[in-house]
Amino acid sequence: MLEPLLGSTNAERALIFIQARGEGYAREIALFFETDLYGIQKQLDKLEVGGILVSRKVGRTRLYVFNPRYPFVAELVALLAKALTFYPETTRTDLTMNRRRPRRRGKPDEANLTDGAA
Amino acid sequence: MKPISQMAQLELAAYVHDHLRQQGIDVVLSGGSVVSFYSRNLYVSKDIDLVNIAFTRQSKLRKAMASIGFSERGRYFQHPESAHIVEFPSGPLAVGEEPVRDVQEVMLETGSLRVISAADCVKDRLCAFYFWDDQQGLEQAVLVAQNHSVDLAEIERWSLVEKHAEKFAQFREQMQKGWNK
Repeated sequence: MLEPLLGSTNAERALIFIQARGEGYAREIALFFETDLYGIQKQLDKLEVGGILVSRKVGRTRLYVFNPRYPFVAELVALLAKALTFYPETTRTDLTMNRRRPRRRGKPDEANLTDGAA
Repeated sequence: MKPISQMAQLELAAYVHDHLRQQGIDVVLSGGSVVSFYSRNLYVSKDIDLVNIAFTRQSKLRKAMASIGFSERGRYFQHPESAHIVEFPSGPLAVGEEPVRDVQEVMLETGSLRVISAADCVKDRLCAFYFWDDQQGLEQAVLVAQNHSVDLAEIERWSLVEKHAEKFAQFREQMQKGWNK
């Protein structure tokens, strides 16, 4: 959707993902969009070099967020928020309705539970 | 000309700045090294951040830096005879949401150097404090503001635009503590 403007589908995927979830790392973005990890890593790196994103290490993962010091961050986020409303409903729901609350270690994944077992 | 191995941080920045200007590349010193400049070296950073204000392509920067002996290492450039690291953050030159308009030009033994103003340096350091709660950013902003006359009303106006009135109050409190010492 924004690919003609951003020049890359993977740049759009990375930005839309971070806009929807507030943060993201290369592997989860690539898995979400079922695309090549290297392509996403390359775009995240370019966006960081350009000052649009910043990253920090969390364990062995490099987590990216919008750079609050980027002078156009508010306008960019507004554009991405609008673009997201044009995405298919399933994609929007999957992007925004992911579980964020904690889940105690050792409990089975919700996705693996059968009806009535929760 | 002083050998690169003997150049202090800002002298090296001026040397690189002038060389790039001759190649048609516009850069302005920002970041931690400006704190050194405005605090009379009370704070020292090894990094030299020269903001690439005219969005020069990396390949042109690489070629220009190579011609004075700098090699690219990841996102940085380094000279074999210097411990300093030169980086070219991409433009625009900004503090938070606002563009930087006031750029000073200073002359050093090794060349001229364009530097953001003391007030913009304070804002630049406060950005780190406002957005990431970086205490070093706060300390550096106080250090610059104590060593240079800056318009606190203007810093306050900008802080309100950035929606950080409470943190500006903390900055002002730190400034006053310093004055009372």
